[in-house]
Amino acid sequence: MQDCITRRQLLRWIPSGGLAAASIGWGDTVALHAADLRKHGKACILLWMQGGPSQFETFSPLEGHKNGGGTKAISTNVPGMRFAEHWPALAKIGNRLAVVRSMTSKEGSHPRASYLLHTGYLPNPSARHPTLGSIVASQLAAQLAGETPDLPPVVRIGARGRNDSGAGILGMQWDPFELRDPTQNPANTKPMVAADRHLLRLDLMERLEENFASQAPQEAADHKSLYRRATRMIMSSDMQTFDLKSEPQSVQQEYGEGAFAASCLLARRLIESGVSFVEVVMNGWDTHQDNFTQVEKLAGQVDRPFAALVRDLETRGMLDNTLVIWMGEFGRTPQINPRGGRDHFPRSFNALLAGGGVKGGQIIGRTDKAGVEVTDRPVTVPDLFATFCKSMSIDPTIENMAPSGRPIKLVDGGKAVTELFNG
Amino acid sequence: MQQRPFSNKRPLLQLRSGRVAGLLSGLLSGFLLGLLLVLVATIASAAPQPVAICDDETFLRRIALDTVGRQPTPAEIDSFLADPSENKRVDAIDGFLADPDWARTWARYFRDVILYRRSDDRAIFMAQPLEAMLNDRLAKGVSWAAIAREFITATGVPAEHGETAIIMAQMGETADIAAEVSRVFLGIQIQCAQCHDHFTDHWKRKEFHAFAAFFPRIEIQRSSGMGAERFEVVSYDAAPRRSKKMSDNPRRGDLEHAMPDLEDPSEPGQVMKPQFFINNKKLPLGIKDAERRRAVAGWITTADNPWFSRAIINRIWTELVGAGFYEGIDDIGPDRTPQSPHMLDDLSQQFIASNYDMRSLFRAILTTQIYQRESRSRSSPQRAGFAANCPQRLRSDQLFKQILSAIGVDEAQIRKDSSAQTAATPATAAKNKKSGKQQINVPRVLFTQVFGYDPSLPREEIVGSIPQALLLMNSQPLSVAFDGDRQSTTLGRLLHNEEDDRTVVKDLYLRALARHPTPGEQAACLEHVHATGDREEAFEDVFWALLNSAEFVHRK
Repeated sequence: MQDCITRRQLLRWIPSGGLAAASIGWGDTVALHAADLRKHGKACILLWMQGGPSQFETFSPLEGHKNGGGTKAISTNVPGMRFAEHWPALAKIGNRLAVVRSMTSKEGSHPRASYLLHTGYLPNPSARHPTLGSIVASQLAAQLAGETPDLPPVVRIGARGRNDSGAGILGMQWDPFELRDPTQNPANTKPMVAADRHLLRLDLMERLEENFASQAPQEAADHKSLYRRATRMIMSSDMQTFDLKSEPQSVQQEYGEGAFAASCLLARRLIESGVSFVEVVMNGWDTHQDNFTQVEKLAGQVDRPFAALVRDLETRGMLDNTLVIWMGEFGRTPQINPRGGRDHFPRSFNALLAGGGVKGGQIIGRTDKAGVEVTDRPVTVPDLFATFCKSMSIDPTIENMAPSGRPIKLVDGGKAVTELFNG
Repeated sequence: MQQRPFSNKRPLLQLRSGRVAGLLSGLLSGFLLGLLLVLVATIASAAPQPVAICDDETFLRRIALDTVGRQPTPAEIDSFLADPSENKRVDAIDGFLADPDWARTWARYFRDVILYRRSDDRAIFMAQPLEAMLNDRLAKGVSWAAIAREFITATGVPAEHGETAIIMAQMGETADIAAEVSRVFLGIQIQCAQCHDHFTDHWKRKEFHAFAAFFPRIEIQRSSGMGAERFEVVSYDAAPRRSKKMSDNPRRGDLEHAMPDLEDPSEPGQVMKPQFFINNKKLPLGIKDAERRRAVAGWITTADNPWFSRAIINRIWTELVGAGFYEGIDDIGPDRTPQSPHMLDDLSQQFIASNYDMRSLFRAILTTQIYQRESRSRSSPQRAGFAANCPQRLRSDQLFKQILSAIGVDEAQIRKDSSAQTAATPATAAKNKKSGKQQINVPRVLFTQVFGYDPSLPREEIVGSIPQALLLMNSQPLSVAFDGDRQSTTLGRLLHNEEDDRTVVKDLYLRALARHPTPGEQAACLEHVHATGDREEAFEDVFWALLNSAEFVHRK
């Protein structure tokens, strides 16, 4: 008896699904075409270096100056573009990467700077500004006019503790879906009962809701739609996205070992499944002491997966539409402190971009020889955010309303770094 | 030029009643009164007809959630329904307001009001001391004015002084503290005038920075160590100060507040004398921190300042009725037009006369017909003009308590179980306690990470999230609680002890939704039991459906 109502119910609960089989089990194909559609749509991956990565030991090496700390530089496959020695894999694809060496800001405290580089705004008690992921996902959803993925549109992997920033004034449906461990399925997605029984329960719930719905139709309808989305997610064949072991061995090897590598691989899989924005967090960049050995270790975990991700996206024809951002909340002091560390330095730092229409193989801006002042082409945080918007064809002047009734633009002024793009 | 709505010498409230009295005794009073009545009638006919007063079960669940943060028990429901007294609703209100859980519930609420606006996540360690402080003051019946003064003048070690929370949440930033004091206690978003004159209100940039000038001498001292113990909020009255480098504000550390030069932010800016934008009273430069903050705390909380009482009345009214006199819960002020201004004034006068007593304010609102009306959707036009109450999404603390009571599990027990899981040895437990980490894996805190929301946001922005739905519909701990085969679960015991399916349905409804099922619902459940064949399984489904319903996560 239950078999024959299952299909009807599933159709009712998951209206946009094209059913492959009459008998439905969890994880069976509920193939949606949205994923295919979105494969060609825009997307963004943010590789977030929590703590503030040293510009000098990454992509702005200071050769021949004492502030360089003796870090050697290596050539990339682009003449004149040199990286610190810890980045050999990325050096091989320098022609896919654009380095901004003239980032500049004033905010030198971790939480405030982290908020700034995630939202484009300084924290202010009158409004919670939306994080980049929420901006991108909500705007791309508007571009796609109703096609939504089965999985949540914004995913953040590996953040510790509470978020730096969420959807804020855009509303909770755009909050990043938090995933602590890239090798595990997200919490509470493993079905507790058989699929047909779950659908029966949803049906029963809806019948018993009529009393409440008679006085509160809006709240009841919103609730039903939320349960549909949650059900659609855990019943979707896209849940296989989280199963990294299903990826060919050769690809897994390409990304390498470790949590960051797994997160990068998962990020690509999520984008492929129609997720608009994935943030991968790498902790540990706050190198107040022992900067040089620490950064070497961190680079050892980031270099290879980062390069593999860019190459993988390119192989799959996804790089042109997927902007990959590497950045942290600020840079580190040119002067080396007595503990062999570098302290917080927002005055000049760097960021790295690939894909999303960004022309690789270029360096934007420069600092003086001591690595202190930006001497050419300063790029502010709003400039950088305007650049992200340009890459994803998002209008940065679109306004959202803060609770106080004050309109807040997606980006607070700022001009896109147009020379990053072709033509 | 815009008129200041009240001056220090002539408070608005007295002005209005004085004017009304004068009109009534005047020769033209009859004519004007007639005109007034016509106006009132016109306004009334534009508003929708008020909906009916809600039934007793709806009332009892609503009042219990709104006061003590939990649903009524089946025993409380039965005795309330059986009570023939005409006065039983007022009696219930008084009973719940006298319950210690009223203070606890609203301490948690105001904790969220302050901490959801923290600029620095580290300030989350303030949750416990802040809740404890608020709980103590509300339970003792300390006036809202005295509580406000404590927050504004706070110093000390945060772990022992929850009232340092606004300062800690903004990490001592002068402008941000000023903004929060104004938002929380005056309902005025004057910080919009921080960088430019206010767009929609008449506040000027200078007024904001003169107000900020009451707070530049607050310093958070940091020592090594982790958690709450490494901080202390102190007054700093001797120049020069250290530790400027961690801030974006080049003037931080100065003894006086300066309004930044917009043309050239690297300039020192204009040094501001402390001046309160409501009554324009000012202090000279050079005054000590304690004295400045005591002065402004007094000016904010004086009966002459209508915005202090209106801010809290608008907030509590919005929470209880679902819509405020002013549209924004913390965005009021002289440039906004309130709904039902006379009612707001009456409540203000009562509140001031009660010496800002919070229980009296709750009692005044809860006993109104408006509060006791049926609910209509937030989006429904039927709610205009306070014609209906509104379904409110439960706050995390309310929902957590409600789930535990529905499944018959004690919070202390799951807390013990989970801390046994997370802290392997007594030594780690002690270490965690010292560093403030013990809060992290408490089930209530984990639950809040999924279900918590900023109570100052417009409620239409608070919608359910996918992790919330997943936790309720598909989590391991809850699915165990739904197991009807086990004697260890409430459902299992109920099925074992009760043969009559009708009684089981009724009991589940009382547990989950604090009401009896309608005949239609009773029939639908029995039909499901019959069709399923397996009694345990069928009732697991029923219980699941009730705990996952929209009705469960809202207070109607």
